[in-house]
Amino acid sequence: MTKADVNKLDNQHLSALLDGEQPLENQVLASDDAATFGRYALIGDAMRAESDNAFVIDISDSVAKALESEPVYADFSQKQAQPTPLVANGTANVVAFNWRKPISQLAIAASVAMFAIVGVQTLPQGENSSANEIPMLQTTPLTGVASPVSYSSEPALENAEQGLRELQQQRIGALVLEHQRQARVAYSLEKAHTKAQAEEEKN
Amino acid sequence: MAPAFADDENPAKELLLQMADAVHNRNFDASFVVVKGKAMEPYRWLHAKQGDTELEHLSLLNGAGLEMVRINNQVTYFEPQSAPYSIATDSIAGPIPEVLFKNIERLSLHYDFVLGGKGRIAGRAAQLVRIESKDEYKYNYWLWLDAESSLLLKSAYVNHAGEMLEQLQLTHISVTEEPAPLLLEMLNRQFPTSLPAVEVSNKESKTAGNNWQIGWLPDGFSLLKSDRHKLDLNNELTDYYLYSDGFVEVSVFVQRPLPGRRPSGSLSSGATTVYVHNAGSFDVSVVGNIPAMTAKAIAESVARPL
Repeated sequence: MTKADVNKLDNQHLSALLDGEQPLENQVLASDDAATFGRYALIGDAMRAESDNAFVIDISDSVAKALESEPVYADFSQKQAQPTPLVANGTANVVAFNWRKPISQLAIAASVAMFAIVGVQTLPQGENSSANEIPMLQTTPLTGVASPVSYSSEPALENAEQGLRELQQQRIGALVLEHQRQARVAYSLEKAHTKAQAEEEKN
Repeated sequence: MAPAFADDENPAKELLLQMADAVHNRNFDASFVVVKGKAMEPYRWLHAKQGDTELEHLSLLNGAGLEMVRINNQVTYFEPQSAPYSIATDSIAGPIPEVLFKNIERLSLHYDFVLGGKGRIAGRAAQLVRIESKDEYKYNYWLWLDAESSLLLKSAYVNHAGEMLEQLQLTHISVTEEPAPLLLEMLNRQFPTSLPAVEVSNKESKTAGNNWQIGWLPDGFSLLKSDRHKLDLNNELTDYYLYSDGFVEVSVFVQRPLPGRRPSGSLSSGATTVYVHNAGSFDVSVVGNIPAMTAKAIAESVARPL
């Protein structure tokens, strides 16, 4: 397909070709090189293809290069010119990465803190049996923000309640962090178990 | 090389093995985000194969951060609130289940591998592969793989109503000939030596093995470890049990009851569920990437041994 041919295509035809993705202007197209256009078309073909072998799974150099220069990705490569981290050049063993001391008192890992904010979902329940009902706990961010729920109108009691809720929140944060840490050894433990089992079966 | 399965021509499984192969052998620099409900976590993921040495770096970019570094069979975790430590293992425990980069064949007993439709992800032609739990006690996991390179473009924990609970989406990837200089730099760094090989035997006196009876778990889960220890953040003592079915991990904590009203209930963020069960004289908490119904059933099955 030559550029001239491409230019003859009307927008409607074109957007069909591109699977309804952004309709390209003719000028844009003209400035696009036929090879690029061909690649778009190929992707479209692959997407519409019914058969499994319509695309090639080939980990070749050419693919690597295509990936590298693929314009459809957001390319942050400018940023990747690795500015040596703004931190401590003094400490010899921690320069290249961010594995430095925490910047602040952000003592709780982000993923744990998120737990306290929790989006409460309603669970798809089986039948209407109330025995199956799962109550959702409501919590507030660990970092503060007054609790919306009050169990009591007595200020003193309310404070006590608040204290208890904080205790529970602390515990939940601790549990989630602990789970994340323990899960790190799970894979190697499991492998060791499987191996041990296999050996036992052999004997 | 991806192992071949003569008796099994499942194309979905083949694709997953190709992805594992690509992830271990390519030099790439990728960015992805994990979306959990209303929360979002951005990560950067670098990998290189330098001769026989695999170098990998995964880093959480928001908040206090979390850095994970792998050199072959040693993974080092850098966390804000504790000293860095290393584990002797050949994969990083990040947001992507580790087993996906290994031999997923071992999941076949409890999960099906199904080829889904084709789509467009991150501007690329993508093939959907679904890992479907054979029972309703676990979530399904869907992966969209690049049609050309087999690299991961997107993945999600999906419940049985078909809703995506936690999504991981690549926003950028560059595959290069040469390893990123950042990774090569790792070779010149000192990392903590690995903790003594994780004690496999559960026969040690330290285990919490007989303290509690855990009456029910979904099929396929087995105990990996149990002990009694203090939690890092709040110094509370807990009896601890770690289970896995090869795909997801489940933690069971049995603790002294907290004072006051302690309603039982569940909490979730993305695919992760925390179920807190008030069993009267003790509290049971279950944490893991499992549906709340499952976590509840596990928690309520915990009892004192007879």
